[in-house]
Amino acid sequence: MGNWERLVWNQRDVLFAGFAVTIEVCVIAFLSAVIGGLVLCLVRLYVAPLRFVAVVLIEFFRDTPIFVQLMWVAYVWPEVFGFPNDFFTAGWLALALQSSGYLAETFRAGIESLPRGQLEAAFSAGMSPVQTFRRVVIPQVVLSSAPSIVNQFTVIVKSSTLISVITVPDLMSQSQKLVNVWYEPIEILTATAALYILFVFLISLAGKLIADRVRQRFGLAAS
Amino acid sequence: MSDALKQSLDLSMFWEYRAILWQGLIFNVLVFQFAASVALSVGLGAALLRVNRFLPARIVGTLHVELFRNAPDYIMLVWVHFVLPLLIGLVIQRRVEFHPFISAVIALGFVYSGYFAEAFRAGIQTIPQGNLDAGRAFGMSERLILWRITLPQVVRRMLPEALNLFISLFKATTIVSLIAVPDLMYNVSMVIQQEMRPLPLYTGAALTYFLIIFALSSTARAFSERWRQKILA
Amino acid sequence: MSDVPRIRIADVHKSYGPLEVLRGVSFDVHRGSVVSVIGASGSGKRTLLRCVNYLDPPNSGEIYIEGEPLGSRIDARGGRKPRSLAEINVMRRELGVVFQQFNLWPHMTVLGNVIEAPIRVRKLPRKDAIAYGEDCLRRVRLIDKKDEYPARLSGGQQQRAAIARALAMRPKAMMFDEATSSLDPELTDEVLSVMRELAMDGTTMIVVTHEMSFAREVSDRVIFLHAGIIEEEGAPAQVFDAPKSDRLRQFLSKYRK
Repeated sequence: MGNWERLVWNQRDVLFAGFAVTIEVCVIAFLSAVIGGLVLCLVRLYVAPLRFVAVVLIEFFRDTPIFVQLMWVAYVWPEVFGFPNDFFTAGWLALALQSSGYLAETFRAGIESLPRGQLEAAFSAGMSPVQTFRRVVIPQVVLSSAPSIVNQFTVIVKSSTLISVITVPDLMSQSQKLVNVWYEPIEILTATAALYILFVFLISLAGKLIADRVRQRFGLAAS
Repeated sequence: MSDALKQSLDLSMFWEYRAILWQGLIFNVLVFQFAASVALSVGLGAALLRVNRFLPARIVGTLHVELFRNAPDYIMLVWVHFVLPLLIGLVIQRRVEFHPFISAVIALGFVYSGYFAEAFRAGIQTIPQGNLDAGRAFGMSERLILWRITLPQVVRRMLPEALNLFISLFKATTIVSLIAVPDLMYNVSMVIQQEMRPLPLYTGAALTYFLIIFALSSTARAFSERWRQKILA
Repeated sequence: MSDVPRIRIADVHKSYGPLEVLRGVSFDVHRGSVVSVIGASGSGKRTLLRCVNYLDPPNSGEIYIEGEPLGSRIDARGGRKPRSLAEINVMRRELGVVFQQFNLWPHMTVLGNVIEAPIRVRKLPRKDAIAYGEDCLRRVRLIDKKDEYPARLSGGQQQRAAIARALAMRPKAMMFDEATSSLDPELTDEVLSVMRELAMDGTTMIVVTHEMSFAREVSDRVIFLHAGIIEEEGAPAQVFDAPKSDRLRQFLSKYRK
């Protein structure tokens, strides 16, 4: 179909520009979510007076649907908190908040499932709690929760399609622009869908391969 | 800032429109119900294909799962609503349009069929081979074994995960407003257009969903804990 | 005793890939007799049992149940046709199997396990299935546990339940695949005594086992399998007390108490 060439291939610059924005938003959101999730998790577990606050935040970020959170962050926060000032920031911020809730729970499960013997061995060797945490706990938690962490990244990518609603020029938004210009949705939307599916698939695959490789190196069974 | 804070927490506006918003929520529940049925049945079918003896069946099943599991809800929603009718129209040489509700049910149902298929497949593969051998030794047909031995056990084991997927699906129904299904968020945006006061409405929507989902997931978590203990006893 | 053996195993060969596990095994099991199969691990005795009810069909050779070949049948025109899975399933009803791992279905009660196949496969009415099922449970002395779930029973109780489950189908023969091997020593006796009673009652049995004293006491014939073929066979007294082959002597010496 010549339409493919005309509508998709010739417009690839437009689509790739959108794709670049999507990747940018997702990477920033992901890194923020990892840090945010870690902070929330540690506060929840180890900072007793703030425990309740952390739990409430974690639950709120996890349970609120991403679309609702996005609208709330994009339209209510600027008035109440003074930021975010642009929709790009609102986009990655909302994505990051939602995922930080999930990751906080993932990290907590990882930390709590670590056998106590690991800590006892470290303390017996004279390691301080901070050292133990850095050298014994975190590496193992990262290793065991790697699949969940990679999965969160795919969730972020899939949810990022919604930021087109608050006019961030991501891949979804660019393809919708093209549809509005050319009035021929079939090829454009199918190509966009295929791009997203392929991208998410490859991330999952890459994540699984890397995880298996790393586990092999450490002599653990492939998951 | 505190003025805006006061305004957004002034939920009287939200309360004032509660009738319309409640109707919107009903739509979310309706979409959820139908999409969940689609997701369960199609997902079970795909899972059975993936564990079938024949390679072509397994390939079809895997393609289905990878296609839908990796697809963003929103793009699938848009595609089903705008592209699928055109494709069908091309084939039957007539103009076809989907009612937004139908598009929503199909799109979300199929996306989640991918997740359910994976959960079912994982469950099926943990049934000990011995259970099936015993069934075969007694002369039970493969169909009988599937329905009387495999599936009852799969359902019992997968119930916690299925509950989580259902809650996810319910959260996902919030996007159907984007193809004009009159759900809660759609009605919220209608009211905002009228009243020009987004703060209390978006905040109210966020709180409403938070409370509902929080109640649902807490119940699901408590139930799953007791269920797991019962099943693994 | 009828002329046609209840089970005839005729020149069965079985390979898994390049590995030939059974290299031509033949013997008959007559009605009411108990045949024990002994041998080291790797001798193929477990595979043999799985071939008899076509859980793993033999590569060549045939199994006959009261003269009927399991793998094929004569059609209306007198030609030989392979049996479909449905037809094989019909014949499987006549062979009761007791597995080493019990393989009770965990989501059904003991009684549920016992009546499942009679109702679904033999299409018995529920009342009749329950009545006979409870008889079988009484026979294995497990009737008081009929409404329990398998997970709450001891290993010995589970295996007795599995025996009742197989009996409830009224099979022509019972096959025991190392029925006591995964039980703690204290629990094997209760299962062996049930098996002994079945033998006394005239049940046709093929017993693959490590329990030499049991085999000696209860069998009519003992078959010693080594590397996929029958190395020696005969009456228990002869096989155990006067073994002819060296390998059998070596094998038995490991079990001398």
